[in-house]
Amino acid sequence: MFQFILSGLAIGAIYGLIGMALSITFYVTRVINFAQGQAMMAAIMVTAAIASAGYPLLLAIVAGLASACAIAVVCYIVAVRPILAFDRFSFGWLVSTVGFAVVVENAAAYIWGPTSRAFPQILNETGIHIFSAVLTGQQLLGIGAAVSFAAAFELLRKRTLLGKLAMAVAADPEMASAIGANTTAFAAAAFAISGLFAGLAGVLIGPSTFANPYLGDTYGTYGFIAMMIGGGTEKPLAGMLGGFLLGVLSEGANALIDSRASDWFPFLVLVVILILTPKGLFSSGKWRFRLRSATLGRA
Amino acid sequence: MRSGTETKSGERSESAAVSSNWFGDWPRAPGYLVVIGYLALTLLVARSSLNVQSVVLVAAVFGVLAISLDLVAGMLGLYSLGQGGFFAIGAYLTAIAASDYDVNVFLPLPVVVVVTGLLGMAIGALSLRVSGLYFSITTFIFTLVLTVLATDSTITRGTQGLLGPVFPDFPDALAPLGAPVAWCAMLALLMAAALVWNIRRSPLYPVLLSIRDAEPFAEAAGVRTSLVKVAIFGLSAAMAGSAGWVFSFIGVVSPGQFDWSVSLNILVMVLVGGIDTTLGPIVGTAFVTMFPALVNINPWLQEILYGALSIVAITVFPEGVVGLAKRRLGGGSGAGETEPSAEGPSAFAPGGVPISTSGGSTGPVGRADGREVIVECRGVEFSYALGPRVLRNVDLSVHRGHIHGLIGPNGSGKSTLANIIAGRLHPQSGTIFVKGRQVDGLAPSERARRGLRRTFQAAELVRNLTTTQNVLVGLYSEVPGIARRAAIWTMLASGRRDMTSMSTRAEEALGSVGAAQWTNKQVGDVPHGIEQLTQLASVCVAGPDIIVLDEPATGLSAREVEHLAQILTALKSRGVTMIIIEHQTRFLFPLCDQVTVLNAGEVVLTGSSDEVRVNPTVRQVYLGE
Amino acid sequence: MTSENSSVLQVSSLFAGYGRFDVVRDINLRVDKGEAVGLLGPNGAGKTTILRAIMGMVKYRRGEIRVGATDVMALPTHRIARGHAAIAPEGRRLFLDQSVEDNLILGALHLRRDPKRVQALLGSVYALFPVLLEYRRRQSSFLSGGEQQMVSIGRMLMSDPEVLLLDEPSVALSPVAVDAVAKALMELRRGGASLLLVEQRIDVAVRVCDRLYIMTHGEIVEELNPRTIGLDGMSIISKYLG
Repeated sequence: MFQFILSGLAIGAIYGLIGMALSITFYVTRVINFAQGQAMMAAIMVTAAIASAGYPLLLAIVAGLASACAIAVVCYIVAVRPILAFDRFSFGWLVSTVGFAVVVENAAAYIWGPTSRAFPQILNETGIHIFSAVLTGQQLLGIGAAVSFAAAFELLRKRTLLGKLAMAVAADPEMASAIGANTTAFAAAAFAISGLFAGLAGVLIGPSTFANPYLGDTYGTYGFIAMMIGGGTEKPLAGMLGGFLLGVLSEGANALIDSRASDWFPFLVLVVILILTPKGLFSSGKWRFRLRSATLGRA
Repeated sequence: MRSGTETKSGERSESAAVSSNWFGDWPRAPGYLVVIGYLALTLLVARSSLNVQSVVLVAAVFGVLAISLDLVAGMLGLYSLGQGGFFAIGAYLTAIAASDYDVNVFLPLPVVVVVTGLLGMAIGALSLRVSGLYFSITTFIFTLVLTVLATDSTITRGTQGLLGPVFPDFPDALAPLGAPVAWCAMLALLMAAALVWNIRRSPLYPVLLSIRDAEPFAEAAGVRTSLVKVAIFGLSAAMAGSAGWVFSFIGVVSPGQFDWSVSLNILVMVLVGGIDTTLGPIVGTAFVTMFPALVNINPWLQEILYGALSIVAITVFPEGVVGLAKRRLGGGSGAGETEPSAEGPSAFAPGGVPISTSGGSTGPVGRADGREVIVECRGVEFSYALGPRVLRNVDLSVHRGHIHGLIGPNGSGKSTLANIIAGRLHPQSGTIFVKGRQVDGLAPSERARRGLRRTFQAAELVRNLTTTQNVLVGLYSEVPGIARRAAIWTMLASGRRDMTSMSTRAEEALGSVGAAQWTNKQVGDVPHGIEQLTQLASVCVAGPDIIVLDEPATGLSAREVEHLAQILTALKSRGVTMIIIEHQTRFLFPLCDQVTVLNAGEVVLTGSSDEVRVNPTVRQVYLGE
Repeated sequence: MTSENSSVLQVSSLFAGYGRFDVVRDINLRVDKGEAVGLLGPNGAGKTTILRAIMGMVKYRRGEIRVGATDVMALPTHRIARGHAAIAPEGRRLFLDQSVEDNLILGALHLRRDPKRVQALLGSVYALFPVLLEYRRRQSSFLSGGEQQMVSIGRMLMSDPEVLLLDEPSVALSPVAVDAVAKALMELRRGGASLLLVEQRIDVAVRVCDRLYIMTHGEIVEELNPRTIGLDGMSIISKYLG
């Protein structure tokens, strides 16, 4: 039993990183980036490509992370910002981020072909025994990285001026600009950070999945479920917690029900949670007010 | 037909002509031509190759889906991502029934309609609890869950899917018509388009848009918004389910056909083509489904092009292709025009036109009896969520036929009290009586149906509809059977009749408040003062017994304020009771029989205008001296 | 050149609106250095629109707006807020999930590289509103209306702007709180601050301001000096209500 909890945490770390990536952009811009999974995929493909070209592993990883950030920022500039500029409450980004995801996914398929390619194993080949359970070094690395990044983000958010400013931009973007915040730059930064998180997820899971351009959809969906279960729409950290929970439940279902249960069990959990607490499990009770009417002040 | 309108036959036909632009005093000929042309196209498709058919018919099915989505997303503003789910249910039920139970292919259709309709109504009920983005997410998950169920159950044959039934052939005599399945699909599209086209030309359309853009206004006008939302959802789901039934004859019924990306693609079709238009969803569908067939390059480059085009389409044309075309043809102009002066002599009828007897069903009868208490508040206490007390132990008695003023500084609780009387807020304790009956817990729409209407301080109207159409919303609860008939409205004689009489009444109401010049202008293009008057007209058109007015003189010029006073006086002479919240005491005091002064949530004084005006406490409270 | 030297805010021929029609037309007003100027008028007159237009928060505007020597028509809102003008908006709009001190520090965003100056400004805000010093760590949603208004004014002061813009600071406040706000504004004026104050309460405006503009229906119709016409509240009322 301990085994599935640990394996669950390991895969949950990946889900959590993507879930948190989605939460971060949603938190700041109220947009769900449907191309988030593709940012992760970009990191995987680039890292694989550079590593197999013979360059050092570290360089490949850095390049991968950078590509994920770049993809996310480009997505903001091209697909999100024009929509928000037209109407802050429009749903047009549903179309444009999906379109962007299609472009990125097929570009990757075009460049590298649709079949899986090799990905450097990093720590995947080392086994570590913890009591009765076994984890690969990669899995342990995953858990560690996810926890540290999440913690770092929270610390930044709560303790630094920039973090407080991010909270202000999220709560009342118009007022934030009235105190001197460049909300566009902020949104772009939020997308870049989300790209970093997604890219990290990619680099961590790459050794197990290999490099395939179609990974974005699956992991994007899991990240989304993680965000919804945890309540990351209200609070980014909740996305990470949701991810861990999702991972453990999936692996648990696999172990305790049958090996295919992880296909449907997470959805069942999601539906139940949404019925009970539409805002997710770990979001705070406080409301984030979007001062909608205040932006149309008359007289 | 009410006798009132028949005596003005000359004027009636004139105003019918004025409103025909929108209503569609649609010359029959072009309509028939379009239908005949469409049938000819169908014949062509039915007789063409399987290749052509497979592309066009799938497009037709998705056209139905897109139209069904536009019904809830475009007209109600609820972005449901659940169409894929209803589509799946329709297709799977049909395919399973045909292959496992060998039933006649037409039998599953009514079953599908009922099942998806009921499920749709349940989802619609969900939208009442969770709003906006969360609702979209919930419907998205609904589709996700169904896809997973379809993938993993044996009855649905997992990822392989099922082959649906074969559509029965035409009898030999009709063989020249070509493949019957083509006729089925194309006719389904025609019916869906016709249904939506009819709704657009019925009085239900302004009601739907008002629910989308100004729900409090709709509720206050007597529209049972929850019921309408649930019903429209059911209709949209049934349409999607029927599309699934059609699809089962055309393609393989497997989970990949219905997953969440399909739901999303349908939304793309609607948004790119033009939301809230009849043609838009069809144009968008054509683009999305036929694109792969027309552009035949490397499959990945093709997808890249498609993705890029959809990004460009939505960022450059956020209203969609058809939406943009409509706006260009409708002659929109740039911003920054100086507002045409509403004080010009043409803006209102000088001397004040008496309120027309447009046959309000509960036109106030009888003398303005100053004794009977028609609205009463006893011991009303109210605070918002976890906030401080906004109203403390407020008592208010309004007599029938009176104009009762409510004044007090900002934050004294006047608007809150008005909202409580109107039903938008419910007090923590205390009771409200309207016409002698307790109304606590009654929704605003129910109070409206009992004769109590209200205006809002900031007029909430549908900006891209005309003033007349907005006023029509006020008549919704007065004319029976609108929702029932909406889907076939233009084909019914009673439809045309009722529309004419309703439009006439709406225009008369607008005329009586002095906005006759603006009857066919969009509210978004109309000056603030005229918006306020439109709001008032939408209230008066239903002949209410009691009107609560929340700062009606806000933003009106001196002449408009004078005119407003005349209108209200005329209303009073017809026995209408009014409760008016106002800051402009010069306007208010001469009108009122009684005035109540609120400060910090408590009643300071109730008395005649003169008593209140000279009272030193009031002067202190209002001036803060 | 003299008027340009002494005026911190100069609005000329301003037309502004949110859609097809202008909400305010041909607005001309100025605030001189060290002056407190009031903008009075009924609901719907356009007063808030003018303040928002100065801060660049109105979609359609044309005309000229200068703060000091700078033409702010050309600047986006977040640049205007960096020392040219600052606003205490209608409804206060504090960042409610953050503490009093965080709200204030955020107000000094553009000065974050000069911590000494920020501390000095913070000190002066606490000196003006001692109760905020006591509540500095409290989450701002837990303050009373009057206290929240103080935070809003304090946040505005923290950016050390050339001109202060206040939108109905006395709305929905108890008489005691209104008095405190008025006193604070007068003290700011004594200290040399330049203010443009939108108000519905004539008594506050008359107490605080050197000059008053009266607005109705999108236009400025009167300019008065409350000292010279005497503190006759009623005559001003009838002017702006009529």
